[in-house]
Amino acid sequence: MALSSALLKQLENIVGSQGLVSSQEGRMVYEADMHTFYKGAPDVVVLPEITGQVAELVRFCRREHVALVPRGSGTGLIGGAMAPVGGVMVSLTRMNRILDLDLANRCATVQPGLINLWLSQATREHGYYFAPDPSSQMVSSIGGNASTNAGGPHCLKYGITVNHVLGLEVVTGAGEVLTVGGKAHDHPGYDLTGALVGGEGTLGLLTAITVRLLHVPAGVKTLLASFSAIDDASETVSAIVAAGIIPAALEMIDEIFVRAINEGVGAGYPKGAGAVLLIELDGPTAEIEAQAERIIRICRDHAALEVRVAQDEAERALLWKGRKEAAGAVGRMSPSWILQDAVVPRSRLPEIMREVQAIGARHRLVIANVFHAGDGNLHPMILYNDVEPDELERAKLANDELLRACLAMGGSVTGEHGVGLDKASSMPLQFAEADLGFMARFRRVFDPDGIMNPGKLLPSHPACGEGFKPFTPRIPAGTWV
Amino acid sequence: MAVSAPVVGDAFASIVGGEHCITAAPALAAASIDGLTPRWLASPGSVDEVSRVMALATAEGLGVAPRGSGSTQSLGAPPARLDLILDLSRLTDVLDYVPADMVMTAQAGATLGILGRALDKHGQMLALDPCGGISRSVGGVLATNASGPRRFRYGTGRDLLLGARFVQADGTVTWGGSRVVKSVTGYDIPKLLTGSLGTLGVIVEATLRLHPVQPASGSWLFAFAAREAAGAFVAAILASSLEPDRIEWLNGPALGRAGLEPAPVAVAVSVASVAEAVASQGDLLGSMASRLGARVSTLADGLWTRLGDALAGAILVKVAGEIRRLPFWAGEIESAAAGLGLRPTLMGEAGDGILRAAIEGSVSPETWASGFVRPLREALAAEGGSLVVERAPLALKQACDVWGPVPDVAQEVMKRLKVEFDPRGTLNPGRFVGGL
Repeated sequence: MALSSALLKQLENIVGSQGLVSSQEGRMVYEADMHTFYKGAPDVVVLPEITGQVAELVRFCRREHVALVPRGSGTGLIGGAMAPVGGVMVSLTRMNRILDLDLANRCATVQPGLINLWLSQATREHGYYFAPDPSSQMVSSIGGNASTNAGGPHCLKYGITVNHVLGLEVVTGAGEVLTVGGKAHDHPGYDLTGALVGGEGTLGLLTAITVRLLHVPAGVKTLLASFSAIDDASETVSAIVAAGIIPAALEMIDEIFVRAINEGVGAGYPKGAGAVLLIELDGPTAEIEAQAERIIRICRDHAALEVRVAQDEAERALLWKGRKEAAGAVGRMSPSWILQDAVVPRSRLPEIMREVQAIGARHRLVIANVFHAGDGNLHPMILYNDVEPDELERAKLANDELLRACLAMGGSVTGEHGVGLDKASSMPLQFAEADLGFMARFRRVFDPDGIMNPGKLLPSHPACGEGFKPFTPRIPAGTWV
Repeated sequence: MAVSAPVVGDAFASIVGGEHCITAAPALAAASIDGLTPRWLASPGSVDEVSRVMALATAEGLGVAPRGSGSTQSLGAPPARLDLILDLSRLTDVLDYVPADMVMTAQAGATLGILGRALDKHGQMLALDPCGGISRSVGGVLATNASGPRRFRYGTGRDLLLGARFVQADGTVTWGGSRVVKSVTGYDIPKLLTGSLGTLGVIVEATLRLHPVQPASGSWLFAFAAREAAGAFVAAILASSLEPDRIEWLNGPALGRAGLEPAPVAVAVSVASVAEAVASQGDLLGSMASRLGARVSTLADGLWTRLGDALAGAILVKVAGEIRRLPFWAGEIESAAAGLGLRPTLMGEAGDGILRAAIEGSVSPETWASGFVRPLREALAAEGGSLVVERAPLALKQACDVWGPVPDVAQEVMKRLKVEFDPRGTLNPGRFVGGL
């Protein structure tokens, strides 16, 4: 479905000629997010600069019955910011300003296109930062983070994006400009702020976000513990949590990733380790010193080969650089992969990691793991070579078995990436019909005509699952998990 | 309705059992809300019974008020209709608790005390500490979004409720959220339920994030001669890298009611961590406070559980505003009350901009609305703040909208939600914002 030139003219009147991309090659740039299985170019991309334009765009799409797909930086991993049925894509990258920095109230109000890391950079000199830290934070936008309720390594201690969103300005799918929440922490009425975060662009477009800022902790201590077997590392994670210690981050990196990171990023992780744990403590100095001692003891009790403590900020940064660029580094080892984001109850970690290895063996596939172990959020990457005749099929089977294994342990379909197009059809594995029916009705309250990001988040939408043949997947340059 | 009333009552009795369906006048009178007496009080013994009661109530066009421990029925506007109290106090089971997961699933009628007893053994806690504490039901605490001093470090119900089973107005049993600490699968329905006063569905089961009890803790009272100095102390804590778990503001009457040493105003702070970090943070707090002229004393940890008792009384209001303006609002509340000859006992979460005032004295409904509620609300509106009358005699509630105004578009969206999920207005009709 292409938009007529008359309709394109109407859109141009809203956003100006500089705010509209309608050429074939221009639109192709927007055909996928980082989950390049799913491709669908919009008929047109518009780049509004103010909330009023966003509201006009929604009203236009309602009037013309055209699908509207919001997009931030496009670093999502779920087939979210792409247009399976074409339509109008609203890119919010030009709305990227900090509107209000209010340190006395420990908050900031920003436009959706603001890059996550820019906020921390703008506030760190005053002693504050924005806690949600998805690995993509140097390029992903806060609007995208809030739309997908993004996580990150440090949400083990600090919570995911929703725990840091105090208020929103949203243009709903009904075309209203809705302001909810704000600097005050409690507001009478339903918690629409909380319910709108994670809406994945199916409820409305976020046009301003008020977020919490946290004070930079007094101290940070980063440890790297290596183990000969992943089983020992998993047991260590459970033991740390069971000891009542919630580190700021507790990340697991398996042998395959250690090798890839060392070769690709040069992070200097211990060579030959079967698994390493990247553990970060932050807080009052006396607290992290005592906790570090305890953790080192737990690691040793679980047969750690070595526990290294970062001696300075440079070493700490290098250890984290390895972790954050891990997914991209695996591109050196395999042309293609499928990534899983399922969650298990944290006590089941050793068990699910054994299952991951068994599934890989059963399907003769290498499954690499780098993930947020402390909260049970797995990221198994199923590596395959699509030149081999049936590897993709086996990889998909393995992926499905992995997801089902996590859910059988009482887990969840997605811990931080979101549902998008990728997992919409998996929703019935976790939710009963009545639960999904409630969500569908909730959606309709905000999007009465079903124009907002159709096909995403919920199954059984007419647009869902039809006509999307996986393209030859390639790891995009720089992918963050 | 009058004709079929006995039949409906019999039907409720047949669902929950005769002994759990109360029709005796004195018992019903004791369960009345804002002077309105229900016709039945039913106490289901299972989720299925809740479902059947709700389906029947909605089919009959009744007004239903869900109730946990019953401690907070004062919250909300007077009901538009009240036929049935849906009492959840029989649903008290802890359904699932794996300490290593730091997650617990419990039925809505379980009190925080019941949960605490299970958690204590494993050195864990549910970090919700509202007034009335351990006798309140977890479902009620969530539905009213009740919180206490610990919210500064651990957040409120919205941060701690991971998943919820709830019964919709038509009886449909529904689940939202997850049973793990991290999940973004689908819409975050638990957020929608938290603080919704049961108007979209009745929470019957909650899966909650837990926290480890820290190995050591310390609490101190920093007493000041003036609000400005106390405010400067709070600001200094917030601008530091200290990590207290409570920062509580108390005015003079609050200190008196809590049995603490008298002062015009004080800030109570607690720190929980390893012993060394408690000691070092306590020292830092002490030196910061001393520079601002505070008198420092140590508090017993047990004080925190009974601190909320200081807010007992006929009238309770909650003010939420900007964090940095809390000392200002404390002053405004005190002077507005004093101008009407009322005596406010003030306490609040200074790191979150939340104040509660228990107000003593006699005031006419008109004066209450025009001399206290309205001017404060108008001033708070400029910063997106609010004043909620959480408890008051009926005449005072009727004289002012207890919730205060919600912006037009937000109110319209909330109305659409209510109409979508409870089109016949079964659940707490009239009690929520804007008469929902």
